[in-house]
Amino acid sequence: MSEILVSMEHIVKTFPGVRALDDVRFELRSGEVMALLGENGAGKSTLMKILSGVYSRDSGTMRILGREYGNLTPKGAQEAGVAIIHQELNMCQHLTVAQNMFLGREPMKGIQIDSRRMREDCRKYLKKLHFDIDPDTVVGELAVSKQQIVEIAKALSLNAKILIMDEPTSALTSNEINDLFRIIHDLKSDGHGIVYISHRLEELQYVADRVTIMRDGHYIADGKFTDFTMDQIIANMVGREIKEKYPRVSCKAGRTILEVKNLNAGRMVRNVSLQVKAGEILGIAGLMGAGRTETSRAIFGADPKESGQIILDGKEITINSPEDAIRAGIVLAPEDRRKDGLCTKLSIHDNIALPNLDLLCGRFGVVDRKKENVMVRKAQKDLEIKMPNDEVRAETLSGGNMQKLVVAKWLARGAKVIIFDEPTRGIDVAAKVEIYQIMNQLKQEGIGVMFISSELPELLGIADRIDVMCEGRVTGELDPHETTQNEVLTYATRFESKVQTAEA
Amino acid sequence: MEENKAKKNWLMRLWSKPGSGQVITAILGLIVLSIVFGMLNASFFSGRNIGNLLRQITSTLITGIGQSYVMITANIDLSIGSVVGMSCMMSATLMTHGMNPWVAVLITMLCCLLVGWVNGELVARCKLPPFIATLGTMTICRGIAQIVNNNYNTDSIGEGATGFRNFFYYGKTLGLYNTIWIAIVLWLVFNFLLSRTRTGRYIYAIGSNVEAAKLSGVNVVKTTTIAYLVSAICSGVVGLVICATTGMGTMDAGNSYEMYAVAAGVIGGVSPLGGQGILLGTAVGASIWGVLQNGLQFAGAPVAIRNIVIGIIVVVSVLFDVILRSGKRRHVKADA
Repeated sequence: MSEILVSMEHIVKTFPGVRALDDVRFELRSGEVMALLGENGAGKSTLMKILSGVYSRDSGTMRILGREYGNLTPKGAQEAGVAIIHQELNMCQHLTVAQNMFLGREPMKGIQIDSRRMREDCRKYLKKLHFDIDPDTVVGELAVSKQQIVEIAKALSLNAKILIMDEPTSALTSNEINDLFRIIHDLKSDGHGIVYISHRLEELQYVADRVTIMRDGHYIADGKFTDFTMDQIIANMVGREIKEKYPRVSCKAGRTILEVKNLNAGRMVRNVSLQVKAGEILGIAGLMGAGRTETSRAIFGADPKESGQIILDGKEITINSPEDAIRAGIVLAPEDRRKDGLCTKLSIHDNIALPNLDLLCGRFGVVDRKKENVMVRKAQKDLEIKMPNDEVRAETLSGGNMQKLVVAKWLARGAKVIIFDEPTRGIDVAAKVEIYQIMNQLKQEGIGVMFISSELPELLGIADRIDVMCEGRVTGELDPHETTQNEVLTYATRFESKVQTAEA
Repeated sequence: MEENKAKKNWLMRLWSKPGSGQVITAILGLIVLSIVFGMLNASFFSGRNIGNLLRQITSTLITGIGQSYVMITANIDLSIGSVVGMSCMMSATLMTHGMNPWVAVLITMLCCLLVGWVNGELVARCKLPPFIATLGTMTICRGIAQIVNNNYNTDSIGEGATGFRNFFYYGKTLGLYNTIWIAIVLWLVFNFLLSRTRTGRYIYAIGSNVEAAKLSGVNVVKTTTIAYLVSAICSGVVGLVICATTGMGTMDAGNSYEMYAVAAGVIGGVSPLGGQGILLGTAVGASIWGVLQNGLQFAGAPVAIRNIVIGIIVVVSVLFDVILRSGKRRHVKADA
């Protein structure tokens, strides 16, 4: 049958104080996509870093393409045929596509770079993926999806047989995901082996051939993807059964807390009107670039508005800055936790206190530390943030705990409306359920919840009402109990006709 | 019992503040340096020299406080040295023209504040790179320092300014030179502002992550401007001290002080990348700077050698921290 590309056995890796990998085995064959699954901290990344030469292992054997290898360096792994497509794409944003692809191994003509050959080779590899990207484009100007394709082409140009893709779809739109899956198919039929790491279990059915499941640094199971049910996979990952992936609590929808009327802000927010009611979660669906994040930022005052009304508790309010919004009781848990959500260099303590200092300060703006400690302790207890102590830097937390910290910041002050922008992106199943439960709890307390998500199953499972957006407009409102993914997508792709201007 | 707990918390808080490890290393370094210089020359520890040393340290310490504020917001203030010069020349010129010294001080400080405000506006509101914005104000302020007295240093500020000179330099209170008291008071006030108030927290937040700070309701323009204002106040005061010391205005007073200020902060663990550092570190950093200058001078080292040694110390102290931290970070990653 197919050739074994990678075989790792009895791999052990310890870091000071932690046994990150304990007797793990892993096998990858040519022409297959191996989904490597596990929660955050299960050891997936560590295992792949050993394979790609970033970490050295303590013991165990590793064979790549039939050859036994000791400890590899990143360069050695590259020569052995292993390439990683990183979650955060690692490219020099200011260099061109061709320059990036051949960085450090530019074809030379005498003492100067043979730019023509470099460009031609670059085009050749992109062609292999059926993509026509100009090799002279500056990488920073490409969409993330295109940058990813350049990375894949780069891996091919390095003659990689083994491609490791870490969360490759997390920043892609559904069309782009289809393109990526097509490329993965092509690569498979060329005999490449692909390790596919993703938290989005829903997409596995389209790509995965086999799965390897890890938990807490241990190998748990592997086998053909079709031999597992989704529940078995999750149970193996989490170590216990998750009864409900989308726990829903029903409440009676009450009065309207927040109403947005005819909001306009730039190209991506056009005439948006929506209502958030007490006792319900308003879901906002749409494709990447539909203007959901922009809408939330405009409501929150992070970006300027052109026109429109914001009515909170029946009174129209003016929001010109996040400060105004927070004072009024509207808060935002932004999409990118590291970039927008947290001051990662500051402690957990300081992060929770930061937006609430107006409540914690006495005269002359002096921070009341006693009050502060009480608030911080309560917030972390309420949300069960796992951490050594509240003085550690926020950046040391796992994705799920970071998300909880972002929420904790806001819950501590008793907001009226909380906007969650992609709160479950990149976090594991168990943590996702915890986030859903937090939203449910807020809903029961009568706080307005706005839930923006790109994952339709969770929107359909958690939201009580869904507004669909496309090109900065709200194109439809759906009841999640009665609608289907397809119907949501129909509204999400209702692009404005470029020819006709009139629309019903 | 309860009190015990609070104490532990306080120590723990200090220790866990990012960059505090470097403060402790710096304190140890300061002690070692003092012992070495004391052994090389016994009169290093003479009361007279200690007094001199402390006065030498003050200008680096005060400008260091301002620069630390700005660095913690992840910006830089290159205008410090020129504002010192401007303050010195402006106050001296006004006084030589017979103005009441205290009115002159008031006008001078207002002008310094104006520079700080412009810096803040340019950096935070207009989003100019701080290096460029303050490079501009640096050049402008040096120009002002030159123009106020038609491109000459001033004459002596005269008899009428004795009170002014005593207040800023010659006088003593409780046996300690007033200059030292000024430094202590400024340090206490600004340390309180930075560590205990909302504004202080906001300064750290901005330096750590401007976008997250903004989305947490921090007024970034206002807070950044406050940091630059603090820097301008500190520079202005140092200019007045120099004026009081020499009794005249000197056009190139304060030359390269902005860099000494960076060094004081950085040796003491303030990160120029923002978000970390405490003013205790700046004080220790300024002291190391002063002890090196003074000690090497005592040991008979020529100026050139002093510069080389101090340059090496600055780089090594930061290098040391980088190496320490990369070790720590690896551990943290492993835990995650």
